[in-house]
Amino acid sequence: MITIKGCEGMKLEIGNFQVNDVVFGKKTEFSGGTLTINKEEAMTFIKEDEHITDLDIVIAKPGENTRIVPVKEAVEPRIRPDGRPVFPGVTGDVEAAGEGKVHALKGCSVLGVGMHYGSFGDGLIDMGGEGAKYTLFSELINICIVADTDEEYERFEQQKKNTAIRMATHRLAEYLGNTVKELEPDTIESFELEPVTKRKKEINDLQSVVLVMQPQSQMEEIGYNDLVYGWDMNKYVPTFMHPNEVLDGAMISGSFMPSSSKWSTYDFQNFPTIKELYKEHGKSINFLGVIMSNLNVSLEQKKRSSIFVAQMAKSLGADGAIVTEEGYGNPDADYILCIAALEDVGVKTVGISNECTGRDGASQPLVTLDEKANALVSTGNVSQLIELPPADKVIGELEALARDGLSGGWAYDEILGPSVREDGSIIMENNAMFCGDRIAGWSTKTMKEF
Amino acid sequence: MVKEIEKAGIPVVQMCNLIPVATTVGANKIVPTISIPYPLGDPDTPKEQQWKLRYHRVGVALDALTVDVDEQTVFKVKI
Amino acid sequence: MKAIHYINQFFAGIGGEEKADHKPEIREGLVGPSLALNSMLDAEVTHTIVCGDNYMGSNTEEAVSTILGFLEGKEFDIFVAGPAFQAGRYGVACGTICKAVKEKFNVPVLTSMNEENPGVEMFKRDVVIFKGGKSAAKLRDDVKVMAEYGNKVLTGKALGPADEEGYFSRGIRSQVWLESEATAAQRGVEMLIRKLKGETYETELPIPKQDMVPIAPPIKDLSEANIALVTSGGIVPIDNPDRIQSASATRWGKYDISDIENLESGVYKTIHAGYDPTAADLDPDVVVPLDVMKEYLREGRIGKLHKYFYSTVGTGTTQAEAARMGREIVENLKEDKVDGVILTST
Repeated sequence: MITIKGCEGMKLEIGNFQVNDVVFGKKTEFSGGTLTINKEEAMTFIKEDEHITDLDIVIAKPGENTRIVPVKEAVEPRIRPDGRPVFPGVTGDVEAAGEGKVHALKGCSVLGVGMHYGSFGDGLIDMGGEGAKYTLFSELINICIVADTDEEYERFEQQKKNTAIRMATHRLAEYLGNTVKELEPDTIESFELEPVTKRKKEINDLQSVVLVMQPQSQMEEIGYNDLVYGWDMNKYVPTFMHPNEVLDGAMISGSFMPSSSKWSTYDFQNFPTIKELYKEHGKSINFLGVIMSNLNVSLEQKKRSSIFVAQMAKSLGADGAIVTEEGYGNPDADYILCIAALEDVGVKTVGISNECTGRDGASQPLVTLDEKANALVSTGNVSQLIELPPADKVIGELEALARDGLSGGWAYDEILGPSVREDGSIIMENNAMFCGDRIAGWSTKTMKEF
Repeated sequence: MVKEIEKAGIPVVQMCNLIPVATTVGANKIVPTISIPYPLGDPDTPKEQQWKLRYHRVGVALDALTVDVDEQTVFKVKI
Repeated sequence: MKAIHYINQFFAGIGGEEKADHKPEIREGLVGPSLALNSMLDAEVTHTIVCGDNYMGSNTEEAVSTILGFLEGKEFDIFVAGPAFQAGRYGVACGTICKAVKEKFNVPVLTSMNEENPGVEMFKRDVVIFKGGKSAAKLRDDVKVMAEYGNKVLTGKALGPADEEGYFSRGIRSQVWLESEATAAQRGVEMLIRKLKGETYETELPIPKQDMVPIAPPIKDLSEANIALVTSGGIVPIDNPDRIQSASATRWGKYDISDIENLESGVYKTIHAGYDPTAADLDPDVVVPLDVMKEYLREGRIGKLHKYFYSTVGTGTTQAEAARMGREIVENLKEDKVDGVILTST
């Protein structure tokens, strides 16, 4: 346990190790930029969870003509040199995160891929060719856990918890992170924010800003939603968090949100909007912290969350807020509700989200509207149609895109035909591109009128 | 769809949970439901209770079809 | 590459108002503004169509039909009309003929007119209308803008968004990768800083104006009324016979409920992917309240329960598709003289 002393801020140091190549070899280690994995040992480790019944580990590299589907989760390999779990409440005990040192393997990620079956929230990644630009993960070396499980109760369900495969990705990420536990990082990123009421005058005089995050929490049954310190966010009311906690494994991704709108665990670990606010902290803004909200389904729960959000922002004295939602459709109601509630208490807002503007690009982009939402960033249209040629290699099972109810795929359409054609070419909606709309902040995509 | 029905001159009541969505879409008569996955009956309550709630709210909707309004109206329910 | 140009009687040199009834004709070669167009476009303007603005306005169907007839069998890769500046009838004529040509021949169509021209509101959604000048003094400028875009279209070059290219937005939103590679995080934080400082900024998602529908007259006597149930919650018979999609639906179904008292689990289910299906599958009446409607029918609260319930799925479905499905469902409702509808959503 690390205790916070006096007026010092919570400081997180992420020690980065650039991974230039990932190979299988005799010993699992990191050296000279290369991560070597003993495949047998790694598989034995993963299979400690008896729910995994069939397993393979496949490495996919940028530029390869490889298609990966159905992808359920992505995690950046990390380790805490002091022995605390990388994902408190998930890979280990519940311990405070956001402070101290953590080591990260950059340039790679661990992916959880279904060997056969997909679900509504799963996605697709093309490592090369025209399809590569639709997802960040084409730029990383992906260590793919390809697995089948004994979770028979949901094998043929459209909504899946994907518990075994997802938990395997967090565990393997920590297992691989262990290779750099004792090593010296290439570079160190340092994140520190002083306690809110103890900041220097020059900082306090700047316009103060909070980041309101709305992770997905729509399912009422436990097992599908994003977790905070291992706690299901459907059974949760908004709270004030330190941005370092988000960057340091307090949040993990769930298994419901249509893939292009998803914040994978990798997204949380690297949340660009947090990093950008940190960049401006002390210069043009006073970054107060994160109001972590959620995205529950009923109007009453949405209203309750927006009341908490607006009150916290007001009580903290925030001048401005960025509101960002992990979702489209029903979650737009929370997004707009929070934005309006904040504007109503005098907090100026900017929103960051994607849209669902229909395949013709002409539908109402958000499900609810409010004139108060006058400053929005848009990172893409989930409905946009994408057609791609066959890939030389498929990791997972291609047919899952058409057969298993992924949000951007279909089995039958009179005009377009099935999502997966006999020759392996595909037609799909952007909706199923894995974390495709990069709402966490990486997106260089926007929406324009034509 | 609500708009197309109303455009044809047929009065329509939308029963939904997300009132802001219905008002944005342009529904004129709205009766709230209790949630999205189970609009008219909470599975964690006894069947009788679910029936009563459903009967009441649908009744409000039927009455709403007969009421003259001049702007978007959300009708109140008792249970 | 070949092009055909449409102009009115004035620009053809035939006459002014007094000649506005001029019947449509097609001439080989260039007339008036088509000389300018021909010189700027990377296609040969092979024919010029001339039509009087009044003739087009008063005999639209005939005029369009005649002109489409002229075009049959002609080879052309692009069709250009105007520019029409502020001339209202001319602008409407250009919009009309462009839309018709696009629909029939599926070639790129372009026109140009001033923002005050009524043709803009009427046709901007269907046709690319360039932002034109107020008077013929701007002829060369307006033609140039059309020609430049036309050239891009003809050579398959990447087309920019409406405000970059200079035409009125058709309301079609599409993904664009920014050349600057500015990230959403950067754009969001910058937008907030500007907003806090009171500086101008541009939202990437303008909030569209609401379009309200007049309220339908209420039912006078409920006990005589024929009521129908419609849902966007995706309740369908267990085998989804109409193969309605779980998201982005384009299909709807109608299901006969005249002989049943409620919707039973295992006989009906939901196929809507956007919400937790457990409760709906356990008791579909929570989404489509057939059981209570049957009770109201027995009590005489309503006169008649329409024999079908109508179902589709609301998530991801475009407004255009939802509106079309709505219209198709309305046809069925009208046939049975339905007096009122209860529509349940999830």
